[in-house]
Amino acid sequence: MNRLFAVGSRRQYLAIALVAAILGILAVGQLRGQSNVPGLSNLSTQDLTLLIANLNARNDELRTEIADLQQQAATLETSTSNGQTTVDQLQSDLARIRAWSGATGLTGTGVEIGIQGPIGSDAVEDLLNELANAGAEAIEVDGVRVVPGVVVAGDPGQLSVENTAVGDPFVIRAIGSPEILLGTLTRAGGVISQIGVTYPDAQISVTPLTSIDVPPTTRNLIPSHGQPSL
Amino acid sequence: MTGLVARARAIPSWQITLSIALLVLGFLIAAQLAAEGPRVQYTTQERSPLVETAVQLQAQQDALKAQILDLRNRIQSLEAQGPGAAASLKQLYADLGQAKIAAGLTALTGPGAVFRLEDSSTLGAADEGLVTANDVRVLVEQLWLAGAEAIAVNGERVTVSTAILDIGGSVLVNSAYLAPPYTIAVIGPPDIYERLQQSASFRAFFLDRVQRVGLGLSVAELDSVDVPAFAGTVSVRFGTPDASATPIASSPPASSATP
Repeated sequence: MNRLFAVGSRRQYLAIALVAAILGILAVGQLRGQSNVPGLSNLSTQDLTLLIANLNARNDELRTEIADLQQQAATLETSTSNGQTTVDQLQSDLARIRAWSGATGLTGTGVEIGIQGPIGSDAVEDLLNELANAGAEAIEVDGVRVVPGVVVAGDPGQLSVENTAVGDPFVIRAIGSPEILLGTLTRAGGVISQIGVTYPDAQISVTPLTSIDVPPTTRNLIPSHGQPSL
Repeated sequence: MTGLVARARAIPSWQITLSIALLVLGFLIAAQLAAEGPRVQYTTQERSPLVETAVQLQAQQDALKAQILDLRNRIQSLEAQGPGAAASLKQLYADLGQAKIAAGLTALTGPGAVFRLEDSSTLGAADEGLVTANDVRVLVEQLWLAGAEAIAVNGERVTVSTAILDIGGSVLVNSAYLAPPYTIAVIGPPDIYERLQQSASFRAFFLDRVQRVGLGLSVAELDSVDVPAFAGTVSVRFGTPDASATPIASSPPASSATP
C-alpha cells in the first residue's frame, strides 16, 4: 500500500512539475515579448531585411552629411583671417539649402511623369511620397514646387494644388537620379501598378530626362507662428 | 447535496492543484495566441540576428542624427562669432539663418497641437485596425491644409524630402523606424484643430478610420509645442541651383487649399 501511494505521489508531482515548467516558459515568453523593441519583433523576415537596407542607406547618407558638416566647421574655424573663403563657403551653403528647401529653382537630371485621365489626389500624393522615397531633390506638380504645406487635393477631375486647378493632362517633374526614380516608380507592384488598380482609366507615363527645370516655391517658408527654439 | 459535498471532499488535493495550473496554462496559451493575431510574431532563430542588426542600425542612426545636430549648432555658433566688420557678411549670416529656418533645419517652438494616433484597441483578424503610413500621411496633409507651419512625427521633422512608408505593421519616416503610437506635433495657428475639423477630408478620415475601424486619435491643443530640427541630409547632387535665384516672400493663405 505504501509503495502504491509512493508511485502515485511521484506521478502527481511529475505532472505538477511539468505543468509548472510549461507555465514558467510561457510566462517568460510573454514578459520578454513585451519588453522587446516596440514593433520590431512583429516584423517579418522580409520586412526586417527591407528595414535594414533602409537604415543602412540612410546611415551612409548621414555619415556623408557629417563629413560635410565637419569640413564646413573646420573651414569656418580656420578662415577667420580670410574673409573671402568664409564668404564663398557661406554662399555655397546658402545656395544649397535654399535649393533643397524649395526657395530657389533647380535644374538637373530626373524624370517627367505624364498623367492623363481621372485620378484622385490620394494617388498623386502616393506618387509624390514615392518620389521623395526614391531620393528626388526637387518636385513640381503642374508648375507648382512641392514643399512642406503644398498638398494636392480633390477628387478625380477636380484636382487642385495651391488654390489652382490642375489640368488634364498634367505633369509631375522630379530632379534626381533618372534610373532610380524610373525604377522605383515603374517596378512590378510599385506605386504606378497600385494606382492602375484604383484608377484604371488613368494613363501614367514616366520619361527620364537629362535636364529638367523645377521652379522655386511661391510660398513664404518662414513660419509666422513658430519661433526658433532657444 | 450531502453526497455531492462528500464526493468533492473525496477529490485529491493534487488534482485540484493540477486543474488550477491547467486553467492558468490555458489562459496563457490563449493570451499568447491572441497577441500573435494582428502583428504576427516570428520567433525563429534566423530572425533574431536581423532584429539585433536593425536595433543596432537604428541606434547608430540616432547617434548620427545627434552628431549632425551638434555640428549644425557648432557651425551656427561659429557663424555668430564671424560677422564683425563687413555688413555684407552680416547679411549673409542672417540669410543663412533664415534659410535654415525655412528648410526645417532649426527647431521651432510655437502654438499648435499634439495628436496621438494609435492602433485600434479591438484588433480583429485583419490588419485594418493598425495605423498605416497612409493614416499618418492623411493626417499630416490635412494639418498642412489647416495651416500647419511645422510638423514632426515621433520626433522626425517633416520636410521637403520626407517620405512616410509602411514597413510591416509600422511606419518609416525619414527612413527612421517608428513604432506606434504615433505622436504628431504641429505648430500653426492656435485654432488649427478647429480648422482641421472643418475639412471634409479630415471628417471622412475620422469617420472611417477612427469611428468605424477604431483607431485611437487624441489631441491636445497647446500654447507651446516644440518641433525638432530635421537631422538628415541636405544634399543636392543631381540638380544645380538657379544662379540668379532670389528668395521669395509672397505667402498664400495656408488654409486656402481645397480639401
